[in-house]
Amino acid sequence: MDIFSFVNFFLLPGVVQGSIYALGAIGITLIYAIMRYGHFAHGDLATFGAFTALFVAGLLGLSPYAALPVAVVVAALLAIAIDWLFYAHLRRMPKIITTIASFGVALMLRSVVQIIWGVDTTSYTRGISRPENWFGIRVKPHELVTLLVVIGLVIALHLFLTRNKWGKAMRAMSDNPDLALLSGIDNNKVIAMTWVIAGGLCAASGFFLGLNTELRSLMGWNILLPTFAAAILGGVGRIEGAIVGGLVVGVTEELSVLVIPSEYKMLSSFAILLVVLLLRPTGLFRGKIL
Amino acid sequence: MSALLKMKSIRAGYGEADILYDVSMEVAEGEIVAIVGPNGAGKSTAMKSIFGLLNIRSGTITVGGRDITGWSPNRIVNAGVCYVPQVQNIFGEMTVHENFEMGAFLRKGDFSASLDRVYALFPDLKAKRKTIAGSLSGGQRQMVAMGRALMLDPKVLLLDEPTAGLSPKYMEQIFKICRDVRAAGVAILLVEQHAKQALAFSDRGYVLAAGRNRHEGSGPALLADRHIAEMFLGG
Repeated sequence: MDIFSFVNFFLLPGVVQGSIYALGAIGITLIYAIMRYGHFAHGDLATFGAFTALFVAGLLGLSPYAALPVAVVVAALLAIAIDWLFYAHLRRMPKIITTIASFGVALMLRSVVQIIWGVDTTSYTRGISRPENWFGIRVKPHELVTLLVVIGLVIALHLFLTRNKWGKAMRAMSDNPDLALLSGIDNNKVIAMTWVIAGGLCAASGFFLGLNTELRSLMGWNILLPTFAAAILGGVGRIEGAIVGGLVVGVTEELSVLVIPSEYKMLSSFAILLVVLLLRPTGLFRGKIL
Repeated sequence: MSALLKMKSIRAGYGEADILYDVSMEVAEGEIVAIVGPNGAGKSTAMKSIFGLLNIRSGTITVGGRDITGWSPNRIVNAGVCYVPQVQNIFGEMTVHENFEMGAFLRKGDFSASLDRVYALFPDLKAKRKTIAGSLSGGQRQMVAMGRALMLDPKVLLLDEPTAGLSPKYMEQIFKICRDVRAAGVAILLVEQHAKQALAFSDRGYVLAAGRNRHEGSGPALLADRHIAEMFLGG
């Protein structure tokens, strides 16, 4: 295998898939950092975001790209609503209860998607998109957009967390919740902000998953395992870890096809999860223990 | 001297169990007051009760005459009382500067004057403003913790065992900083294990035992009392 086929058939698709995982994993990691539970409805929230973009694009006759911001906003608001309806009154209880509740929310979201949009496979655009050839590197336009938008979102999030007063308050709450309260930081506002960011990024991950593959009612549920693997590999609570973890999981999945049948791709994220939990449960960037 | 912070007959505890039975104390403007006593006397609990971190069954706490009993921590902070817990008192993953910014979180507008004052109190930290606070030495971390609490320009600073685990050199330094903070117009109430050293530099002291006031008086007077020294200060 020459270097070009390695990049074109394994590395690039892996990086694209990995950046989709990264968007989801950032949300999982943020939610854990602030609220200390694993959020299992994350995948189905991504599905909902993907279908919302499809709906908006169809309704207004827009390109799916133009529908993305709408889907991000809708998913962010939905995430706040879900927190308010289902998670808020469980806050003082053991965290495992909220984790299980999020499982229930996942099933509800999936059913809503299936009732509204059915269970058939669909896609944003018809026909085959032709890759552009850049000196032997073949990139499809939607892959390029995926990478650019993910990079943009990650930079925006980084700037928010390091420059903005409320972004710093989020980090403070993750770092030392008791001291954050003693400093007068409003817990509820930080939680709401966490849902806006996690929900928005989640919709973006669903959208790009749909753009690069296809839309199905189980699409989000199916990426939940690799997304969690990415968050845990990076170190739970570590944004930079979620990004690196996402990329590693994505690329490993693509490379695994060299040694195992492609239907078993998913096994690689399971294997990563297992190895990390056994050998280095705090992940690459020394996160919290899930 | 008028009392700035006043606890009157506080009975308090966690859950169902009481730890404080009847504790009263006060801090006047410009004073350094130490709470000393044996382990389990309720020293730290007395301090936490001011901050509404446990259930107060009876008694009142006032700041400048205003009743703050049962207030939430962020209202108490706004009323001019800031608290430095004994452990986990910094944002360990954030820079020194960000710790101070978080201390000033409730302030609207410019807080550069408070920041300058804090850096003037802790000149060592100025060069380390971009350092991650968790990587500093124990003494410097304690300075970050105090600096964070001072960013709101409190009238009273509560310090829970500020010298625990520090070397004698840093202990002296923390005590000196306390005097500097007092000179800047902030009264201090502190809980100390190192009872003798604490009483020697405090204006007044309270000796607590088994959740009750046992003795009170000026620092030197408590130190000079042989009975107190034998019973509570380790001979």
